[in-house]
Order: sequence, then structure tokens, then C-alpha cells
Amino acid sequence: MPAIYTTEWYEAVREAINASVAGIKGVPEGAWTCRVEIIGDSASPYVQGGAERHFLVRIESGLCSWYREVDPGDEAMVLDYRFRGPAAVFDAIAAGIDDPIDAALRGAVKVRGDMRFLMRQADLVKTLLDAYATAVDTTWPRGRPPYEGSTGGSPAGDTGGNGGGSRSGGDTGGNGSGSRSGGDIGGNGGGSRSGGDTGGGNA
Amino acid sequence: MAAGLAGTQAAAMRDAYDVVIIGAGHNGLTLGAYLARSGLDVAVLERRHEEGGGLCTEEITLAGFLHNVHANYHTFVDMAPPVGDLEVREHGVEYVRPEVQMASVFDDGTALCIHSDIDKTCASIARFNEEDAETFRRLYNEAHGFIDLLLGTLMYQPPMSVKELTKALSAFGVDKRSEFLSVKLRVETIDKFLDQHFTDPKVKAHLAFHGAVCGYTNDVPGLAIGFPLLAGKIDNWHLCIGGSHRLAHALWRDLAQHGGVMISDAEVASIAVDAGHAVGVRLADGTEISARRAVVSTVSVEQTFLDFLDPAAVSRELRGRVTTDVKHKDWSLFSVHLAMNRFPEYAAASFDPDVDRAWVVNLGYGSPAELDADWATIRGGGLPAPRPNAAVNSLYDPTDAPEGYATGLLRQFAPFALANGGEAAWDDIGPFYGRKCIEAWRRFAPNMTDDAFLATTVFTPFDIARKLPNMVRGDWMMGEISLDNMLDQRPLPELGQYRTPVERLYMAGSTQHPHGFITFGPAYNALQVMAEDLGIEPWWRKI
Repeated sequence: MPAIYTTEWYEAVREAINASVAGIKGVPEGAWTCRVEIIGDSASPYVQGGAERHFLVRIESGLCSWYREVDPGDEAMVLDYRFRGPAAVFDAIAAGIDDPIDAALRGAVKVRGDMRFLMRQADLVKTLLDAYATAVDTTWPRGRPPYEGSTGGSPAGDTGGNGGGSRSGGDTGGNGSGSRSGGDIGGNGGGSRSGGDTGGGNA
Repeated sequence: MAAGLAGTQAAAMRDAYDVVIIGAGHNGLTLGAYLARSGLDVAVLERRHEEGGGLCTEEITLAGFLHNVHANYHTFVDMAPPVGDLEVREHGVEYVRPEVQMASVFDDGTALCIHSDIDKTCASIARFNEEDAETFRRLYNEAHGFIDLLLGTLMYQPPMSVKELTKALSAFGVDKRSEFLSVKLRVETIDKFLDQHFTDPKVKAHLAFHGAVCGYTNDVPGLAIGFPLLAGKIDNWHLCIGGSHRLAHALWRDLAQHGGVMISDAEVASIAVDAGHAVGVRLADGTEISARRAVVSTVSVEQTFLDFLDPAAVSRELRGRVTTDVKHKDWSLFSVHLAMNRFPEYAAASFDPDVDRAWVVNLGYGSPAELDADWATIRGGGLPAPRPNAAVNSLYDPTDAPEGYATGLLRQFAPFALANGGEAAWDDIGPFYGRKCIEAWRRFAPNMTDDAFLATTVFTPFDIARKLPNMVRGDWMMGEISLDNMLDQRPLPELGQYRTPVERLYMAGSTQHPHGFITFGPAYNALQVMAEDLGIEPWWRKI
């Protein structure tokens, strides 16, 4: 069972998503780049308070072709969607105790991008989110949500900000405490990147 | 070249532009500014002597008293993307969000206030019904959670169909997740929504009144679909300091700074069409202006398709549908503009002193049924016993009147055409009805005696249509707000995506989704469509 936010975990999520999409008919053609911004909120032990971890995820024809972690200040990639929220909420979604659609409806996770497309592809979106939230048996080396003091409320900061603040912690091994910067956690590239891979995704 | 126009106008005008936009209301100016910032050569043509359309501020009572003749309430500030994209604040617009946004005063001397502080609002509602206050807090909080999604889905994107929306809401299981969002909203009235969730008639009356002021008539089936958004922005009402026209001027400034031009006194007579493509316009004075890439109309559907386009350029079927199927609001607004030497002091201030600081006050509707009875009267061409709403901008904008004085605005829901005498009868009855509106105000604010008013000017539904012909039949929303005239059905299905059957002719005014009010939505959404068609890089898209 992979630990949360490790390379193995992301690979497992990717495989789960791709497996779930495989059975869906009428998956739209095209490619979309999404950015997931996880804001340290002092509740989650996986992203330190005041820090942020940002991930790019590439969806091609409904399948996750690659993903990687980027520096919060790196806005080089043209995005189709941005999802931003507190770490405790993302942790809770990954633990299956919070629902991603509920989180979006209550504004805990802010969504930016073409909402029409998400609405028109509601079945596909729901499948992707369900796979993310429930298909991987995750371990929690620093504790499992819910965390004491976690509100699940609106994230700190603006709803569409681009980060830019320093970040630390959040290594992909899930048990360290040292600072880091850059560093892909999977995927096989595509687009700009910096830092070294720690994973080996395979599109 | 520009014969008949004033010298400066003639000098500024050229023979051809990339895009020619008809109408310099806030939508025309907004679209023009975006396109100019995108590097296109843009001209915005305005029939009147100045830009603004409904963003019209004039000294129509006395010199020094600034009255917003049309748009007074700016409820999408900091929600509408153009406010930031076009830097309207940097161009001099200053907004204030009044602490006491709105109130209702009732016949029994009580008052309910909507504050900019939700806790204070709930405390005010709780004086009528504690359970309603808690329900409103849940509604408000829930709406605030999804307001970005609603705005992104329903306001600032070219529209989806109701069928698509319903399917998506079902797929996401919204019925099970939300106390207030439901697929049933698409068939329900605001009255029914209020009955399902609230108890006290005065609380319901205020919420229904708020919907009506926003153009969402509380007894029209399907409009409950808009109520959660209305609730979520109930305390986002902003006043434009110095008058609403300041916003128009800021948009014009942005257009001009990026190379666009606004040409006033330029009444369009026709849209030139060549081989099925819009290629320019001809002005009433004979001036011809070519449009290399597009012509955009922000005025009414009737003007565009019946007056401006040659019948040969449009199918007989479409002309027929424009004539018979375009829906306009079945009520309009009768206004009394007031130059005053005092502020109102409401009798209900003994119940809640904050009512004296309320920007906008509903004078007397105590239940949705009372509103419904007036809608029935108005739809029959009758004049209801006045229960106007009173806005005193000077409470929050000391620049709009000389020191020690104030402006006032009474607005009464009213028919466009009177059963006796049609719309022309307004010219006779308007002053009398205006006095009745003042008397209705005095019933709740006894200090507003005759000597409180230095001057009064009535502005009737007929005046709206005469001053701004795009507001057909005094339709200040430029199209009915109803489920069959919303989203991709507005104003007609074949025109619902901002394109028209005439190539390179677009519609971008309040006739289009989402609707009138200072939303910027029609222009912003038309921009997305034009960007796709014209290959414009969407620099404004901030994801």
C-alpha cells in the first residue's frame, strides 16, 4: 500500500484513474493540463503550514498521461484547469472521508477553468474523482485524516493565485522532514520542468 | 467622410476598422476595450451624445444633484472578470459597499435590514423568525461556497442549455449534496422556493423583493434556478461614487488608451452585408464605415434584425420570430428623482435604527402575495397603489449632492403601456403618480414632507424607451427573465451563442445571456466566441 503523496501513490492513482476511464464510452478527445495546488494549513502533516505543493496533471483522451510536481512559482505551463485548496481537504479526499464534489460545492477546493466542459463531461469527471478518492489503498505515515483542528473550510489565500511563496517539506517519500525544491514525482515529462525526477511515470 | 458629425468626431472617424460595435453601453465599451487590448482596431458607435447607455448619470433635477437615471446598483463588482481585466478602478472608478445594503419597512412599524455583515443580517432576520435566520445563514454560506462555480458556469461562459445543466446536476448528485440546489429549481417559482425554506411572510417578502429588484420576478416559474446566486450576492451591492456614468467613462478610457475609439452622435441606420457577411455600417447621416473583421450589435434584437439589416439579408422566418417571439419584461420601472434637503428618518427606526442608514428600502411589501397581486395589476396595464423602493445614494456618496443636501430615487414597479391610454398616457399621469409615490414614502418616513424636496423629476417607462430605444417597451433588462428566455434560449435559440445567421455579425448586448444589469456578461461571453472565430489569443483567461 503506497504512502500518501509518494511516487508510488501517484502511480497507483494514475493507474486507478486510467483503469476506471477505460470502460467509459464517448470519452472526449483532446488534452488538458490541470494544476493542483495544495496549501499547507497547519492541520495536515504532509504539507507544512505556509508552504504549498503544486502538481501538474496531464489528461489526454480521458487518460492521465503524466504528472509532476512543480515549484509554486513556476507558471510556465498553459493551464486548462486549476484546483486549489487546503492540504487537510486534499488529504481527506484521498482518505475517502471527504467528497471532491462536496469540497468544490462548499468552496473548500476552488476550481478555475472552462466550467461548461466539466459540466458537459460530468460522468467522466465523476469517474475520475471517484477513482482518485477511493480506488487506492493509501497508508498515512504521519497520521491519517481527519486531523484535529481541520475545518475543511475555504482555503487561505486567493482563489486563483499562483503561489510563488517558498515551500518546504513534502518530500515524496513521505517520511522525511528536510526541505526540498523542484523535483518531479512521476510522469515522463512533456512541457517545461525543473529539478530531477524522483519517479518514473510512463504515460 | 463623416458628413454631418461634429468636427472632432469627423476628424476622429476613419473609413474602416477591424471591428465596429453598435452601442456604447457597458457591454459595447467592455467588448471594445478587450478587443482593443487584443490589438484590434475598434470603433464603438453611439447614437447619443455620450457613452454609457444605462450607465447614465445626469443632473435631471437641479444643478449639482447627480442622479443615476438607469443603472444604480452594481452587484457584480469583484465577481465580473472585466472589473479587474480592464482596470476600471485604476481608471478612476471608486465603489462603496454600503454597510446597510437594503431594508424593508413594514406596515406594523418593524424593519428588516440586510447588512454587509452576514451576522448582522441574520440578527435582523432573527427578530422576525430565528429559524429563518439560521436557514438564511445556511443558504448564504452554501451559496458562497459554490458562487464561483455558479458564476463560472452560468454567468461568465457562453451558455449551456437547461437540459445540459440538469443532466450535470444529476450526474454530480447535487440534489443529495445541497440543501438548496436542486434540479427542481428549473420549474419552480421563487415564491415556492421561499415557501419551502422560510416561514415568516416578511422575511419572504424581503427576499422576493430583492429578487424582483434584480429582475427575477418572484411568481415566474423556473426563476428559482437563479435564487441561490441572488442570495449569495445579496450583500454585494455597490454604489459607484460620483454616479454610475463613472464606470462608463472608465471603460471608454480603457478603450481609448488601447487605441479604440468611441464615436458619439453616430446613429446607425443600417448594417452592410455582402455575400452573407457583415462588412460595415451606414450611419443616419450617410457615412459609411467598413468593418474588416466583424460588426457587433449591443442594441436590441428588433433594431438589429428589423431596422438595421436589409430584409434580404435575413430569412423571413427569423424576421418573423424577432417580431413575435422575442420576449420582453412584462413590467417596467417608474422613477421619481429627488433633490432633497434632508435624509429620511423612518418611523421603523424605533424598531431598528439601522434602517435610517439603509441604501435601498422596500416601502411596505409585507408578503410575496402582496407583490404577486401587484404583478397581476401591472400585467393588466393597471397602476398599483405605490409601494416604491427608496434609494438615497447620498448616504454613502457625499459627492452626489451639494453639502447638506441629498439625492433620492423612488422606483415603483409599473406597466409600460397603461390599460387606459397606452404608454403615451404616462406623460399625463406621470407627475400625479410621482406624487403618490412620495406620499407612500412619507407614510414610512414622516419627515419627508413637501418642503424636503427642492425639485422632483419623474422618469416613466415610456421615457426609458424614448431615451434608450434598445430598451424596447421600457424593458430595462432587454429581454424577459424567464426560463424560456435564459441561457442558450436568449433571445432566440438561433441567436443564443452570440453569433447570428449573418456571418461576422455578433450580438453582445443585454439581449444575450446572462441578461441586463451591470453584469458585463454578454460582452465577456461574446468575447470568448469572437476570440475563437477571429483567432484572438485569450490573454484575459486567468486559470
